[in-house]
Amino acid sequence: MTSIVKRFGITTEHDTQLIDITGRVRELIAETGIKDGVANVMTLHTTTAITVNEGLPDLEDDLLELLADLAPPERPYRHARFLHSDGQMAVNAPSHLRGALLGMQVILAVEDGTPVLGSRQTIYFVELDGPLFREAIVHVHD
Amino acid sequence: MIDIHTHPVQIAELHDADPTLGPAVRDVFGLFVKPQPLTTYFAQLDAAGIERAVVLAIDCTTAHGCTIVSNDQIATLMGMSERLIGFASVDPSSSTAADDLRHAVSAHGFAGLKLDPALQRFAIDDSEQAYPVYAACVELEIPVMVHCGLSWARVGRSALAHPLLLEQVVHDFPELRVIIPHLGWPWVNETIMLAVKHQNVFVDTSVLFSGTPSDSLRHVVENVIGHEVFDRSMSGQVLFGSNYPRVDPKRAAHAVRELQLRPSLEQKIFSANALRVLGLDGKDAR
Repeated sequence: MTSIVKRFGITTEHDTQLIDITGRVRELIAETGIKDGVANVMTLHTTTAITVNEGLPDLEDDLLELLADLAPPERPYRHARFLHSDGQMAVNAPSHLRGALLGMQVILAVEDGTPVLGSRQTIYFVELDGPLFREAIVHVHD
Repeated sequence: MIDIHTHPVQIAELHDADPTLGPAVRDVFGLFVKPQPLTTYFAQLDAAGIERAVVLAIDCTTAHGCTIVSNDQIATLMGMSERLIGFASVDPSSSTAADDLRHAVSAHGFAGLKLDPALQRFAIDDSEQAYPVYAACVELEIPVMVHCGLSWARVGRSALAHPLLLEQVVHDFPELRVIIPHLGWPWVNETIMLAVKHQNVFVDTSVLFSGTPSDSLRHVVENVIGHEVFDRSMSGQVLFGSNYPRVDPKRAAHAVRELQLRPSLEQKIFSANALRVLGLDGKDAR
């Protein structure tokens, strides 16, 4: 079995943001040279997510608004304290919970060196506590 | 909007250029997260609505054999963006500290001095070590930010950072502009006592001990100080400070907005008071 991991960085610009990474994922899968197999697109953070949806601005806004409603900022979260292992205040519970709702990865079939996607499917990297420099991977194996 | 209190200890460009910075930030400052590009720092300021930010040096040469970050590094950052306002730091335990400050301000145009007695391990009211540095600040017409209260750094000694230690200093240097960050928490009442008595004593809003910045600041302002004290007796002396990267500037700014202060007071906190303490009201400076 051939297994290749491709890393890539994303500089986000806003607190919450959906970033279309479909083209990037296509390129990275092609770079592996693997023609047929499976690709796992995964974020390396716990306050970001990877999801697939129709690439429309109104849906992007609706999704972010829904996440904000489900994990609003003003609840008395336990995760609101100094995190000694970081040396920073850990006060981003809503970001973690929104990420948990969306998930950290998507799995795609790879056929002829390209991901199998429906015509309306866009792969998003979802920033939930930006702006920050973020990292994700595309893991392809046959 | 001006952030009076950021520590540029997470800037990747500084770490890349200086391999000694990482151990100093980790072992002395007590920050254990990965560096981020300078562009991310600016994006974080943007997300908070901050136009300009003070970047602070801390000279811990005698206490810990390092700087976090150095005056030269602050000058480098100032050269990268006019958004950044540099505060130098000198080591009060050094006999050349006052002259070091004069040289640094002359060479780089720093707008203020940062001292952290908890990390630098000096006595705030030491007339032999610290007073020449305060005198130099008066001579140079720059403010001094003196860390007071809780020091999150493991090696920090908060007992050295009690705001009451500043009482004699502000009496002996009536022209010295002193910024007490973190509202001096946990010694908030002592800090407020100094500020309501001395108009050259400023405070910043970076109160961080538990909960979100909104939780901490609301507790202190509403339960300990009282909105009306800010408005009546300290309206010209409260400054917005985030204490980045201990917390995100966006959340620190949100905490102040959530207080729902009188709009004129909020404007002073976010901008006018900082311009005044920095001596930028009516002129531009780096």
